[in-house]
Amino acid sequence: MAEKGNMNVEHVDGVARLREEHEKVVKDCESRIQHWKKVSGDYEALNDRLETLPEQLSYDIMVPFGPLAFMPGKLVHTNEVTALLGDNWFAKCSAKQAQKLVSHRMKYVKKELDDLSKTMKNFEARVSLAKNLESMSASKGDYVDIREDAGNNEAALTKGKQRIAHKPNSKPKLDAVLDLKEEEEEENDEGSRKSVLTEEELWARLDELEKLEELQDEQDRLSDNAEMNGEDTSSSSSEEEEKEKDGQAETRVNGLSLKPSWSSAPHSKVPPSVDGKEDEDDDDEDEGDCLPTIFFSHTVEPKKVRINTGKNTMLKFSERKEQKEHSKRKKKNGHSHHELHKITTPADIYRLFVDVKNGEPIPRKSILKSRSRENSVCSDTSESSAADFDERRMIGRSFSHDEATHSDTSDGITEEDSPTAVPLHPSSKFEAFSGTVVEKDPMPLAVPHLTIAPPALPTILERKQEEVAPDPPPPQEPPKRVSKFKAARLQQK
Amino acid sequence: MPLKQRIYKGQQDPSSVQRGQKGEMSLYLKTPNKSMSARQKLETQLTENNIVKEELDLLESANIVYKLIGPVLVKQDLDEAKATVTKRLEYINGEIQRYETLLKEMEKKSDQHREVLSSLQQEFQKAQGMAVGKV
Repeated sequence: MAEKGNMNVEHVDGVARLREEHEKVVKDCESRIQHWKKVSGDYEALNDRLETLPEQLSYDIMVPFGPLAFMPGKLVHTNEVTALLGDNWFAKCSAKQAQKLVSHRMKYVKKELDDLSKTMKNFEARVSLAKNLESMSASKGDYVDIREDAGNNEAALTKGKQRIAHKPNSKPKLDAVLDLKEEEEEENDEGSRKSVLTEEELWARLDELEKLEELQDEQDRLSDNAEMNGEDTSSSSSEEEEKEKDGQAETRVNGLSLKPSWSSAPHSKVPPSVDGKEDEDDDDEDEGDCLPTIFFSHTVEPKKVRINTGKNTMLKFSERKEQKEHSKRKKKNGHSHHELHKITTPADIYRLFVDVKNGEPIPRKSILKSRSRENSVCSDTSESSAADFDERRMIGRSFSHDEATHSDTSDGITEEDSPTAVPLHPSSKFEAFSGTVVEKDPMPLAVPHLTIAPPALPTILERKQEEVAPDPPPPQEPPKRVSKFKAARLQQK
Repeated sequence: MPLKQRIYKGQQDPSSVQRGQKGEMSLYLKTPNKSMSARQKLETQLTENNIVKEELDLLESANIVYKLIGPVLVKQDLDEAKATVTKRLEYINGEIQRYETLLKEMEKKSDQHREVLSSLQQEFQKAQGMAVGKV
């Protein structure tokens, strides 16, 4: 954005200068045209004179004598004309011949006039173009909010792919629609005022979205389990998209930087797809938050524990923080960074918090997936063996305790995390699910991406030891984490 | 040699060389201007002579052609005049081309010198920076 802004500023200056230069050329052309017109007038007068001169053999005239006196005289040899041909060449010729010469010169003068007028027209057009460009660039002073220029195109694009709230519990599509419309309007308008409006709108929207999110979170939580089970993680990406769209429409505020996310929202619509992605990511995060399961807004919680307490496992922590940071950074850094640690969609959760990875980058599966169910501690996914379930429950409880300490947001996240963690351990029930994996799992994976990760690790590790340790299987996971759980598992085994 | 002296010397050297280069640069800047103005003059003469040639063609042999040499109008033969004007035209064209090549060369040289100058400036700045840092 900043870059674009800078570019715009430069463009404005450049365009202004360009316009000035064009105008200079136009003026120059005008002056030259004036000159040639005068010459043409002179030649016409000359032509007339030559026409009439031979009518009489001689004329009585007052001959100028010096600067102040005249003398009566006669003009003779009226048909003899000595014409200057140019370059110090003279030719004596009759009046008629002189007329021919004059007409020949007139042709040349006319040619010059035509060329000049063409050039002038050309540059006048350029000047107008430059003026328009200038006004446009000036208007899009703060393209930070909404790029009106890009917006138009993007509006067209986004219109096509306007996101709709696909999530079952996703915020009402009204928001999205409203937002889209607003964005469209904003995009369409190229006035600078738009940016101002957008900001205000953004803030208003943020507030609205927050409220909506809260409501939805509650709803989602209730229905999440049901939904999660039903939904496929495979379609998480699509969900993510949907969520993103929803998120865009909704305020993504779950503790995430409102502003950045918000601004990203309109941008997402307006700016090119790349930006949109970023926005989407932001949205995803938010949406994740919106989703009953994941709240990324929670403060840095030492550990992300998947707690299965009737909810999906929870992913505590600093994920949220990371996400926030990421969302903030995202604005600056761009998509890639974002992708890494940003959880814009549920799929991201799985991706990020792969604590469940057992030495392999096993993407987490949502708890909704059958696999996850087995592993997940969620009560919903009680498909796993009773033992596992009990185990998980135990784990979950320990986590739940932690969860309880955390805000709701954490619960939400953990819920999602748990599903993600669960899927990672598909086959082996126990081990797969020791699943509390969620705790730190994300950390190790997230570490490279998330700056928060490292600090979180130690804390999480501590917590983990307190709580059930994550599965040992994932070698990637820090060994510490699985202490408790491992012990439990070992015992069970 | 103490560090400071060395640095100072180093600073001086690039600067002196720079000055020399700048002098050359100014040369390279002025010459093109001269060439440009001369070339423009030639252009006007070219157009003028073209017109004269055409008008001479329009004339008939009966017309007497004069050439203004100083304060004197000297009678010229029409054909001779035509030939003279043609030759002059060719001469002017040749001059224009010569100036063109000269301009291009000047431009190249000026670019080269600009590069050298910039590199020298960089060295100079580095030396200055080093001096500052060391100091």
